[in-house]
Amino acid sequence: MSELASDAKRLTISGMNKYYGAFHAVKDLNIEVEPGEFLVLLGPSGCGKSTALRMIAGLEEISSGSLTLGGRDLTDVLPKYRDIAMVFQSYALYPHKTVAENIGFPLKVAKVEKDLMERAVYEAASQVHMEGLLDRFPRQLSGGQRQRVALARAIIRRPACFLMDEPLSNLDAKLRGAMRAELKHMQKSLGVTTIYVTHDQIEAMTLAHRVAIMKDGILQQLGTPAQVYSDPANLFVAGFMGSPPMNFIEGVAGRGTLDLGDAQLPLSGVAEGTKVTLGFRPEDSQVMDAGSGRFDADVFTSEMTGDLTLVTLRRGETHMTIKMPKDYEAPSDDRAAIGFEAAQAYLFDTDTGARLDASLTEG
Amino acid sequence: MTERTLYQRLFEPPRINQMAIGTKVVVYGLLLIWSAVVLFPIYWLLITSVKSAADVNGGPVYIPFVDFTPSLHAWRELFVVDYEDTLRAYFNSIIISLAATLLSTLIGSMAAYALARVKYAPNLVTVLIFAILMIITFVSIGIYGVDWRLVIASALAVFFFLMKAVSSRVKIPLKNGDILFWMISQRILAPIVVVVPIYMMFQTVRMLDTHLAIILTYAVVNLPIVVWLMYDFFTSIPRDLEESAQLDGATMFMTFREVVLPLSKAGLAATTLLVMILSWNEYLLALFLSTAKAQTMPILVAAMNAGERGILWWSMSAVIVVMIIPVVFMAVVLQRYISKGILLGAVKG
Repeated sequence: MSELASDAKRLTISGMNKYYGAFHAVKDLNIEVEPGEFLVLLGPSGCGKSTALRMIAGLEEISSGSLTLGGRDLTDVLPKYRDIAMVFQSYALYPHKTVAENIGFPLKVAKVEKDLMERAVYEAASQVHMEGLLDRFPRQLSGGQRQRVALARAIIRRPACFLMDEPLSNLDAKLRGAMRAELKHMQKSLGVTTIYVTHDQIEAMTLAHRVAIMKDGILQQLGTPAQVYSDPANLFVAGFMGSPPMNFIEGVAGRGTLDLGDAQLPLSGVAEGTKVTLGFRPEDSQVMDAGSGRFDADVFTSEMTGDLTLVTLRRGETHMTIKMPKDYEAPSDDRAAIGFEAAQAYLFDTDTGARLDASLTEG
Repeated sequence: MTERTLYQRLFEPPRINQMAIGTKVVVYGLLLIWSAVVLFPIYWLLITSVKSAADVNGGPVYIPFVDFTPSLHAWRELFVVDYEDTLRAYFNSIIISLAATLLSTLIGSMAAYALARVKYAPNLVTVLIFAILMIITFVSIGIYGVDWRLVIASALAVFFFLMKAVSSRVKIPLKNGDILFWMISQRILAPIVVVVPIYMMFQTVRMLDTHLAIILTYAVVNLPIVVWLMYDFFTSIPRDLEESAQLDGATMFMTFREVVLPLSKAGLAATTLLVMILSWNEYLLALFLSTAKAQTMPILVAAMNAGERGILWWSMSAVIVVMIIPVVFMAVVLQRYISKGILLGAVKG
């Protein structure tokens, strides 16, 4: 087993850009991936995360900037010399080759001796529990099994770095959860530096040592899952992490207050007249009796999900979701208030989206 | 047998073994009639080849031993009396079409793969300058007998000068699609247009009536078809597979051999068959390029039509029957590759 482990290497992306003609797909990306780290690139589709991954793999040219792995400059190196293995979203198994031939392909290309190759194939297949199906063809496998073959093909080479492009998105929800846990376990035991692309924030939170959140080709925030969740750098990150996402209400800063129209909240540290967006997480707030919370709102719906009740309230055009205990019953008169601690409110500049260094005050 | 859903009953044709007896009779009846229509010409060839002159000229007769007495006189004439001519033409045809098919599918599929996967952007101006200079070079050497070293040296000098002077200023990039269309356009041109120049070319190099001349000509003529068909096949292969092979350490040629070619078996088989049949049946170019030694079967068939003894229907039929056999054989061999579902399991679940 330990034979498969390779010396973990540091991957450094500095000032990486990608242009497609006039379109600027990835903008000045700087990330230092620690040896053995599991880094997740997270963002909505079209945010440049896959392009960034393909540039690391060498499948796309790096327009400008540099890439090093273990101190070796890879910027202009062909993919086959990069010592990087990639798992594709589609798995990209060779349909005319058996499982064993698929897993052994990187070694076949490297002209490894036959008996050595057979041993390595068996070992890699055992790691993903596929050693019993070596003679099958990909078409005879289930989605999860194909996924495992793709993983085995990636680990057999003992690469310095793994790249994974939404590897779980083609699996059904139940299998996805199981594979997620296995993936995390495998990465930990192999200790290989891994970059994983996904649009699923739960996957990112559960798998990553650190998460890099991207939008429109720009890195928004890089930090541990706990950091990006509890200390989002801007409006986008705050709204992207969490399910259901953070609730937002727009207002204007007055003299020591945040003016929400029908409610005034005590505020300090924001220049008067600044447009401010107030954010609070569904689990950090409660539905209270009308008039007793921070502000009032209409009860829109109440959904029991089993372990909790999701209450959606409406204030003008804005909908807000609050997580309440599973035995909660919404007030009958359809009018309620929302309450939360001042420390659990987030304040953003509405125009720039930046997090404001300010807070609500208890009052 | 599972119950068919309403949707299936409305929109999917039932399988033949799920049909009622009456429907089955009708379906098989129609199929039988169509088979007869398709197979009758072959039957007609077979019986004509064993008819005597009197049987052919005396109006239609259909059933051997009943309507007429079959005789092997045409076959004897072809394979006993004139066996040298017949067998030579037969082997010529086999050698020429096999070699031409091999050559054109080999070169054509590689060209198609390159066009499908590599981005080209040659400058049209440079290409034109090169082509014009090449023509001038050949004309001055071939027709005016200027010393070839002098011509090539000066042509190269002029080429590099013009490239610096003109091509760097005027840029009209040719895209892959343009190159592909240019290749296909070679096939749009009727062969009759180029037959005389080709004839003169091979006359100049003293290669008329040789296998090589016809093989090269057929390969060139069929190349556009191969490129066109294979390009379509290669572009339909998911790029992920090739990118994955690249990351696994394969070179482009290895990717082509290990991943792309095995997945294109169906396309290759179909293309090979098509090109093979086209070469096998080709008449016009063979007529010009061969006189005796390199004569192919279609020329032999046509010759039966032009002798002083009138049209020899029986001999012609016998030759055609012999001509059909290898094609049928090839079709049987290749048809198992020409099936769908080869990409099944490559991507997704």
